[in-house]
Amino acid sequence: MNIIEVHNLSFGYSGAEVLQDLSFEVGRQSFLAIAGPNGAGKSTLLNLLCALLKPKSGTIRIDTEAIESYSTEALAQKMAVVRQEFVPVFGFSVIETVLMARTLYYGQMRFENKADREIVNEALKATDTIQFASRPLGSLSGGERQRVFIARALAQNTPILLLDEPTSFLDLKHQVGIYDLLKVAQLEKGKTIIAVTHDINLAAQYADEVLLLGGTQADSGYQYGHARDVFSLEQIERVFDVRAFAGKIGQEKFFIPLGKFAKDSGQITSKPPSGRQK
Amino acid sequence: MKDLLTAKKLIIRTASALVVLVVVMFVCSLIGTESVSLKAVFGGVGQQATVNPDYEIFMQVRLPRIILACIVGAALACSGVIFQALLRNPLADPYILGISSGAGLGAIIAVISGFSWTLWGRSPIAVFAFAGALGTVWLVWSIGRLTGKSHVTGLLLAGVVVNAFFSAVIMFLMSVAKAGQVHSTIFWLMGNMTEEDFFVLWVSAGFVVAGIVALFYISPQLNAISFGEDDARSMGVNTTRTRTIAFAVAAAITAIAVSLSGLVGFVGLIVPHGVRLVFGPDHRQLLPLSGIVGAIFLVAADTLARIIVAPAQLPVGVVTAIVGGPFFLVLLIKYTRKVGWLGK
Repeated sequence: MNIIEVHNLSFGYSGAEVLQDLSFEVGRQSFLAIAGPNGAGKSTLLNLLCALLKPKSGTIRIDTEAIESYSTEALAQKMAVVRQEFVPVFGFSVIETVLMARTLYYGQMRFENKADREIVNEALKATDTIQFASRPLGSLSGGERQRVFIARALAQNTPILLLDEPTSFLDLKHQVGIYDLLKVAQLEKGKTIIAVTHDINLAAQYADEVLLLGGTQADSGYQYGHARDVFSLEQIERVFDVRAFAGKIGQEKFFIPLGKFAKDSGQITSKPPSGRQK
Repeated sequence: MKDLLTAKKLIIRTASALVVLVVVMFVCSLIGTESVSLKAVFGGVGQQATVNPDYEIFMQVRLPRIILACIVGAALACSGVIFQALLRNPLADPYILGISSGAGLGAIIAVISGFSWTLWGRSPIAVFAFAGALGTVWLVWSIGRLTGKSHVTGLLLAGVVVNAFFSAVIMFLMSVAKAGQVHSTIFWLMGNMTEEDFFVLWVSAGFVVAGIVALFYISPQLNAISFGEDDARSMGVNTTRTRTIAFAVAAAITAIAVSLSGLVGFVGLIVPHGVRLVFGPDHRQLLPLSGIVGAIFLVAADTLARIIVAPAQLPVGVVTAIVGGPFFLVLLIKYTRKVGWLGK
């Protein structure tokens, strides 16, 4: 059973097509990674999926209903969004920030109830952010703050989580920490996870399906499927316009991009990239 | 969880602040160039002015002026809270979108025109200032909308441009006006409390309180909007509706304040910051407490304005800037580390 269905979706900015005739389906409780080079339309697609943008043509269905039929409130009950890092203007504390996810459910007195607080408490525990619940958001590190925003998304209690580059600016430990957290949300809480990412190796390790944007006309401009089918050395080199080294740990391949002046550049046998053929 | 705002905490804090406000109003009503006997005041209902001057001074001079300061202080402080939240800009105040220059332009047009009629007890200056303030906000809002859906920057720029243009027109009109007219205009621009009749005060108070209650109702949504429009929408906030209501109400209560007292500066900037620094940024608490603290601040400032150079009087705007500036700095230094939004 699919929770999201996208058919023949196209979108562009002032005449320039960003996404063209895109079709894919996201199964309930699955993990989809959206990857691709800069400008391929990853964040645009995320904004289309949460109705911040309207498609030029094509349809998006959430739980079999057209996305246009959802009110802002109804859509917020279906999906929570974690955006890229930003600096808050005012000094909201961690718990105040997470509690905002319950705004939709506040009563007439404009306060949360006991159930809301329990949901927030659980989200703080799940993301290991409860120990700094009363600290101002601005005093946390980037990784801690990202976990707080994931806690807020969990507290919204929606079946779908959308994340826009959740690990940008984070060190290796925090990168895998965030992905482990998302995997737990998927497997233990039954969430459907859709994450835009630049990290194809983490995407390969954690996602059930991968949507690789920025391909050629011959492959419809995108590739969709299991990571091991979508991420081939040839595909990665062509889409990202870079030479890379490919290896395999167990089930999944990994890729190390190597530029012309990289120490081990000479070890790569493939031809130098000759520009993306889009 | 114990640090979280609860309905009980909010009620206790609001009630305590109201008690402080009543005490300040009471004390300030007894302070002035003429001393007033409380016994004479409370025993004086129904007596002639010649028989009981204490009662007359209290009821017809001090009390209306103190109530006026409450209304203006509460309106400007709450309006400041809203503009800071919507523009996501800690430096925003009620005048940021050009309300001050619009009201000023209205006031100088009324002065130069020499109108002498009244409308529901209001002078032409007050009526023109009110219309000028609302007209300017509408103009800035319309220009801002042309710049796109998320029009915070567009609004700010439109406010700056309209402000500069109207200020230039004010300067032009002042340069061609007579000396007496220029004096009246400058006095108004500096912000003043003058005695108003009770009908005007109760009607204004009714609108301002209704506005603050309406703003309280959308305060959780304002919390979410503080994190940006996209985030707020993801959390189920209808941002267009919330912004429209908040802008309209904040502009209306600012216009009411401006038409009552001229341009009283600083209240709408420092009171929200002071309350936010001490009690936190949650708008459910920030709005009512800022309203009450704004009222306390302006009642006290106006009392100082009445007595510092007695028997003459200072414009209250001078006192709010001189007293408010250093007070705000102390708060800033003391609490910045605590909340951490101006850096670690």
